[in-house]
Amino acid sequence: MSKKNSLSRRDLLKTGSAVAVATAATGLLPDTEAEAAKRKRKAKKLPRWAMVVDLRRCIGCRGCCIADKGEYNTALGRFNTVVKNVEFGEYPETEKHFLPRLCNHCAGDESKEWQVPPCVEICPESKSGERLKMGKEKYRTGATYKRPDGLILLDPKLCIGCYKCVDACPYGVRSPDPNVKLTRPDREKDFGVGKCTFCRHRIDEGITTSCTNTCQGRARNFGDLNDKRSTVAKLAKEHKLLENKDKSTLLPNEKTNPHVFYIDPDGILEKYNKKLSKETKFAEFKSGFE
Amino acid sequence: MANLSRRNFMKLGIASGAFLAAGELMSPSLAGAVKVKMGGKDFNYLTNAERKGIPTACWSCVTRCAAMGFVEDGRLVKMESNPKSIRTLGKMCAKGQSAPNEVYFPDRILYPMKRAGARGEGKWKRITWDAALTEIAGKLKKLRDDGHPEKFMFHYGRMKGSSSKLIKSVFLGTYGTKTISGHTSICEGGKWVAQELTWGKHYDNWDFDQTKFVLNFGSNIQEAHTNHVPTSQRLIRAKVERGVKSVTFDVRLSNTAAKSDEWIPIKPGTDGAVALAMCNVVMQNNLYDKDFFKFIRATENVNASVDEKIAVLKAHLKQYTPAWAEKISGVSASKIESIAKTFANTKPAVVISYRGAVAHYNGNDTERAVQMLAAITGNIDNPGGRCRGIGPKWKYPKGPKDKPKAKKLKLAHGFPGTVAYPNHGVCQQVLPMIKDGKAGRPEVYMWYCHNPVYVNGDNQGNIDVLKDEKMLPFTVTSNIVYDEASKLADMILPDATYLERWDWEDMVCPTQVPEHYIRQALVKPLGEARDLGDVVIELAEKMGMPLGVGASKEEFVKTSHEMTAKAVKGFPGFDYMKKKGVWHDKDAKPKYYQHKKEIKDLGGAILDEATGVYWDPKKAHAKQPEKGYAATKHAYKGYVGQKMGDKVYKGFPPDKVNKTGYLELYSGLLKMKGHPALPTYVPIPTHEKMKSNELVLTTYKVAIHIHSRSTHRKWLSEVYHDNPGWINTKTAAGLGIKTGDKIKVKSSIGEIVTTANVNGKIVPGVIAISMHVGREESGRYGSGKKSPFAHDDDPDLKNKFWDTYGTHPNWIIPNANDPINGQQAWMDTVVTVTKA
Repeated sequence: MSKKNSLSRRDLLKTGSAVAVATAATGLLPDTEAEAAKRKRKAKKLPRWAMVVDLRRCIGCRGCCIADKGEYNTALGRFNTVVKNVEFGEYPETEKHFLPRLCNHCAGDESKEWQVPPCVEICPESKSGERLKMGKEKYRTGATYKRPDGLILLDPKLCIGCYKCVDACPYGVRSPDPNVKLTRPDREKDFGVGKCTFCRHRIDEGITTSCTNTCQGRARNFGDLNDKRSTVAKLAKEHKLLENKDKSTLLPNEKTNPHVFYIDPDGILEKYNKKLSKETKFAEFKSGFE
Repeated sequence: MANLSRRNFMKLGIASGAFLAAGELMSPSLAGAVKVKMGGKDFNYLTNAERKGIPTACWSCVTRCAAMGFVEDGRLVKMESNPKSIRTLGKMCAKGQSAPNEVYFPDRILYPMKRAGARGEGKWKRITWDAALTEIAGKLKKLRDDGHPEKFMFHYGRMKGSSSKLIKSVFLGTYGTKTISGHTSICEGGKWVAQELTWGKHYDNWDFDQTKFVLNFGSNIQEAHTNHVPTSQRLIRAKVERGVKSVTFDVRLSNTAAKSDEWIPIKPGTDGAVALAMCNVVMQNNLYDKDFFKFIRATENVNASVDEKIAVLKAHLKQYTPAWAEKISGVSASKIESIAKTFANTKPAVVISYRGAVAHYNGNDTERAVQMLAAITGNIDNPGGRCRGIGPKWKYPKGPKDKPKAKKLKLAHGFPGTVAYPNHGVCQQVLPMIKDGKAGRPEVYMWYCHNPVYVNGDNQGNIDVLKDEKMLPFTVTSNIVYDEASKLADMILPDATYLERWDWEDMVCPTQVPEHYIRQALVKPLGEARDLGDVVIELAEKMGMPLGVGASKEEFVKTSHEMTAKAVKGFPGFDYMKKKGVWHDKDAKPKYYQHKKEIKDLGGAILDEATGVYWDPKKAHAKQPEKGYAATKHAYKGYVGQKMGDKVYKGFPPDKVNKTGYLELYSGLLKMKGHPALPTYVPIPTHEKMKSNELVLTTYKVAIHIHSRSTHRKWLSEVYHDNPGWINTKTAAGLGIKTGDKIKVKSSIGEIVTTANVNGKIVPGVIAISMHVGREESGRYGSGKKSPFAHDDDPDLKNKFWDTYGTHPNWIIPNANDPINGQQAWMDTVVTVTKA
């Protein structure tokens, strides 16, 4: 872990966490001069990580897809991110567009008390997990869980391999992954579920997601929506993405509240949404090329 | 220092759900303690441990992007771009990202192998490096001692930068053979010849950062290009960030066409007609840039006035009306006219062109017509226009001073009299000429990063020659993959991948400021693999002709750095380059308008009255300067400047041919060889005779494969492993063909069976089949076949889900070329398509 981004105990306390275990944990840390100096640094508001994909900029190169294969050494047969061709029109007015897809890191239905997306809702380990608060954000633990900063993550140590989340995700972005080994003695399957993590391990170290990093057209933009100076916040404001989620996110009718937003002046999402159903969602999350 | 990482926290041993929650709370990204930046670092996704980042350079395609390899426990796990590079700006394509596969694919050749059965039978035995090199050195030394070094032929595909200098200039130069062939004519060599005939030294850089309009003839820049990532990203950014419009002519809705404001389907091989008609519109409507005409040659008379040149071009182009071009190309006359006017009226604008336009029988004059369009509108070497490529200059050790005068078999430049200016060779005719035998036959035929069977046309013909021990007594290759050609070798040397070797590199920079960059070995070569650069040093020792360039390629590269530091102002040297990977002079100004430089000091140059060229016969090693500039072999090497009126300008210096220093729209050199001097539309003879049931077969590249040499990379083949032929909906209906149907595609030399993909993304009358797949041998990921001595330690082998490998089109594409420049006419083959 790089020193620059390491967390001081002070930072953690400043996040306003009410989680008892966190306090207990930080209490175990020795205090030092360096730590004291770091206290001067003000901790920021809790982030809300999001991606804004500008469809005008995607050239369909699939650099992102292969970057992800390398980042996670993803097993053949499954992807954390794909780029779909969306084609329509008759010759010679034929159109071909490119639609990068990944886990939407959905916030979940806002009308429900525990605002979580269907994958978290259905996870048996999440149901039995703890209900916690971090600042104003409600938080509950589980094998598949939503972090207070919006990341939808998986814990293979808690996962039993029931694959209910795989079916629950309306986007089909989750799939059993031979490279995710489960360890619980009462597990149902030996391997768990793979999906995009918004490169948690990279952003922890202050480095953007692998796919964003390599994107030629700067179609993929990643950052903190709560930070007004971030590119994603600026793009969201400029293109009114948050106000028009029915036009800027995939499958708005599912009320999953995705946090992958699209700048989509050509109305590609609307056309693609029609293709995406319970029956097609897994096939649609395979990378094709032509 | 108490860094509380998630890992540290786990060590505290707190269990269950609470453990997880607390662990996550330690995450800096959750606590709002991070500001995310672009790349340069990478971490293990499970442990957060930092991976070791080493600057290097990609070598997937010829773009050779500056890169960063990430290594963990001695293993290359991830490839990214080098964020410090002014060329790549930290971006990388799918091909580059798949680098780890190149090292660890389970069918990789890791040991020297000698054939144990009949040639091509597939029986092999492992031998030691010493045995391999002793045998090769023995054969080569004997040829040399007998006075026939030319009987050693070296045929390469990709060989650039320091690899080319060490292997070709130093090793082959010291040995004394010039029986060397590259592969450029099967790539885009024809385009280079056309440029050498017009503006001299080849390579056009397209200044998207500053342009206001892009006109594209047959370049699929956003999927594949010789400077792909540096230029492709700049094009899409220009479009979105500055609203730059683009128009693409292509037979196919490529990704580039799809991202253009307009895709204009065009019949194959007719781009030249449209470009000429556009030139005509520009001239007749007086939309030309009069100032630039000073630098144009348009007539035999090199002293013609600007008005005379304008009049000559107007008269020549008059025949090429938009209505005439519409009949030929299928593009409407009004469209041609409006695009021509937009192009001429938008300053600056850039016209770009590639294989879709030039890989034809008539490609030379298509490229010349495109050069003309750029020139008459003043969009040459200007900010935002079509610029002359700028690459970094390296110094390097040249080996022994007393090199022998090299001998050669005339195998590399096509059958005698068939190609006017084969400046970049005629790769596809090498094996047919060996078969023919009139130019002699090599006794040792070696190829490197090349697959002579599959990358040329007429695959079966190539196999027949390579297989024949009477024609080729000894064949050897240095390769990483067991492919269709190495299968026919007598000996295979296990090459190091580009991720295991050293180089300096020199590809063109899109900003017109050169960038020096290097490739360093990221990991030790696997098995007994060795870089051919290292191997030739040892081979030379074994033959008793030491090269004196150090003991390894790494030393060669290091010495090159020391020499370059003395020659290039500010160049920081080897240690810096190992650390950073890239360097450019921050004070350097982008190079534009190089032709406008006035030459004040003429040195020992003399004026050649006929051409107006000032040249130095000494520099050109001219024995009889009185023969004049045009008639003296290699006179261009003595070029100093071009007289224009009473001044001498740098102009457009020649390379490879004795052209003048003008941008030659009128080519005396072509006239001399019986071809039209001004860019002229020549219909493709075989297309003129086409019957109504015949189609034209064209090939293409996709964004995630490299020519025919990346199917062993599992992450690429996972995405793309099949290549059904594209046929227009209407055309297919006429043939009774539907998507998914098995179809037979038959040409004059053979037939293939493939699958149809009927769609609205292709012009009627064409079948398009990509070139990448359809491999007979490429290991299990590329061909389903296990290579000799392959290993099984890739856990992904059991996850591989595809069992289709596509169909290679080159079996039915004859080796045929543009008669001016030798370019392989990939896009011209006439075929019939029927249900199989």
